Amino acid sequence: MASPLVGIVANPASGRDIRRLVAHGTVFDNNEKTAIVRRILIGLAAVGITRVAYMPENDFGIVPRALDGLRNPGATSPLRLTAEPLAMPVLGTGTDSTRAARLLVEMGAGCILTLGGDGTNRAVARGCANVPLVPISTGTNNVFPLFIEGTLAGMAAGLVALKRTATRAIYRAPRLEVSLNDTPTESALIDVVVSSLPFIGSRALWDFSTVREVILSRAAPATIGLSALGGALLDSQPDAHGISGMHIVPGNEGPEIQVALAPGLVTWVGIREHRRLAADDSVRCQPGIGTVALDGEREIELAPTTRVEVRLCADGPFVVDVAAALETAARAGYMQR
Amino acid sequence: MTVKDAAPSAHALDKSALLRMYEQMKTIRVFEDRAGKEFASGKVPGFVHLYAGEEAVAVGVCSHLTDDDFITSHHRGHGHCIAKGVSVREMVAELLGREAGACSGKGGSMHIADVNKGMLGANGIVGGGFPLASGAGLTAKYNGKGQVVVCFFGDGAANQGTFHEGLNLAGIWKLPVIFVAENNGYAESTPVTYHMSCRDIADRAAGYNMPGVTVDGLDVFAVYEAAGEAVARARRGEGPSLIECKTYRYYGHFEGDAITYRTKEEEESYRARDAITSLRNSIIKRQVATDAELDAIDAQVQNSIDLAWQYAEAAPYPAPEEALTDVYVKYP
Repeated sequence: MASPLVGIVANPASGRDIRRLVAHGTVFDNNEKTAIVRRILIGLAAVGITRVAYMPENDFGIVPRALDGLRNPGATSPLRLTAEPLAMPVLGTGTDSTRAARLLVEMGAGCILTLGGDGTNRAVARGCANVPLVPISTGTNNVFPLFIEGTLAGMAAGLVALKRTATRAIYRAPRLEVSLNDTPTESALIDVVVSSLPFIGSRALWDFSTVREVILSRAAPATIGLSALGGALLDSQPDAHGISGMHIVPGNEGPEIQVALAPGLVTWVGIREHRRLAADDSVRCQPGIGTVALDGEREIELAPTTRVEVRLCADGPFVVDVAAALETAARAGYMQR
Repeated sequence: MTVKDAAPSAHALDKSALLRMYEQMKTIRVFEDRAGKEFASGKVPGFVHLYAGEEAVAVGVCSHLTDDDFITSHHRGHGHCIAKGVSVREMVAELLGREAGACSGKGGSMHIADVNKGMLGANGIVGGGFPLASGAGLTAKYNGKGQVVVCFFGDGAANQGTFHEGLNLAGIWKLPVIFVAENNGYAESTPVTYHMSCRDIADRAAGYNMPGVTVDGLDVFAVYEAAGEAVARARRGEGPSLIECKTYRYYGHFEGDAITYRTKEEEESYRARDAITSLRNSIIKRQVATDAELDAIDAQVQNSIDLAWQYAEAAPYPAPEEALTDVYVKYP
């Protein structure tokens, strides 16, 4: 039987935004992304994947560079793996990631690895349907993708594509559907923030005084960025549902909480009100000139009368739990010979 | 951090600030379009390298500077001069080699300078601005008055040895220098995808102990925000920064360039995101000003450029006996 196809979407633009100036973010350079992809490819090949398709880009050529001179020092035979660029135009925007994901679905990919931040994964999630993702963090304020060793990510993705993992190795993430003037327009994976900043500009948000409302798809500890508000507002009440988001309105009337708004930027902020959200709960945001940020990046400029509504949805992308994938494959005997 | 030390908020961009940005960007565009036409007609001696398309970078950055701050520029320097406040008619006179020029007609397009405005000079040497900027940064640090220096440079210059020397000095001495890369995709005719090992100039900041960020150089607000933070950082004494602005030049490397190395479709894709049109649309959409107000600025800009050319064309050439004046420093 032919090897299943595994996809790679590596965003060359992530990891360089203004948070290196306003906080203590680290530049995530493309040579490092190339090294990660190289390790991914070796991980994929090690578990038996021979077919890879990837998003082409005119920026850096992360995957072609990773393929150049690729070899696994731990293997006795050369890598039998072909990696082909997807047949698609390159626009150099986030839509490339969405288009690549759609093509990979059409081609029957068994798993898609992503390299980027929350924004990259948001773009991929728009197109990846039911194909599970292995999201690797190469951005800044990342909640959705994880810092994980590329080799292990590649092995886990390969094992998922080969259907050698148990069902508990894959879970479904929630998403936030954003409607503008009652028309569903955008989707976010982690947070939707309405800001008073009037233009998209450098995209990131780091000044809490400009934040009008925050809607989170999950209230989780150990996150960074405005999603950290949810973790700081956790209380002794257990989560009522599997999916538990939050709506937060800043203000000086309520308690202050301490949050990490960006790498190396920790501050106390006032919260006027907050409430938990269950699946299908909606939030109608206060109108006014400003911007809507999706997963940490300003994306939509609002006219004074634009109506913004955000709904928590259970039908986000499927995501691989890398540790569980490797564990269940090992327990099933796939790591032995 | 006190409010005084912080970068200006985006809300500081009120109507007058936005219209000033629009006027400056428009002035650069009309200046360059006119210079291109006049060069083609044979009126302008020497070379000209036009900045049209990259206006958001010069204006977004220089909006944070005063006459006490310094900038260094390069061969494509007209936009920097205008954004830093150099007289447009003195610039035209300089292009035409007239005595009334910013450098008495001896510099031409590639050497316009105005030290009273903190404009330390366009520069015919690719990468020539880095040592000057670090030197000016040392002066600024020594003066202790909160002055900053901006070093504009292109993607080709980022491969010169002076880039590494200048950034290293700024890094070790924590100089108040903001290195602004205008990455327009081509070093003369060589695409950045071929000539640069790391592709993103911002990646190189890590080697010199300074933050490096990449912004959309066609979005004046993105440039403004990043530059504001970097300038504030430098004024606070926290050292240099590197801002890479992804941009595009509408004209060739120099006037007369046949531009065989890029496609018309590529140029059109950038023109579709034109920085000045985007700013205009943003101003209108947010009801900051009306079309009529912006049209009036357009007309006033056109008039000022027309008058500058009339003035310069009527101005005399320097006398032959002035040939060595201002060329050598006289020591007592």
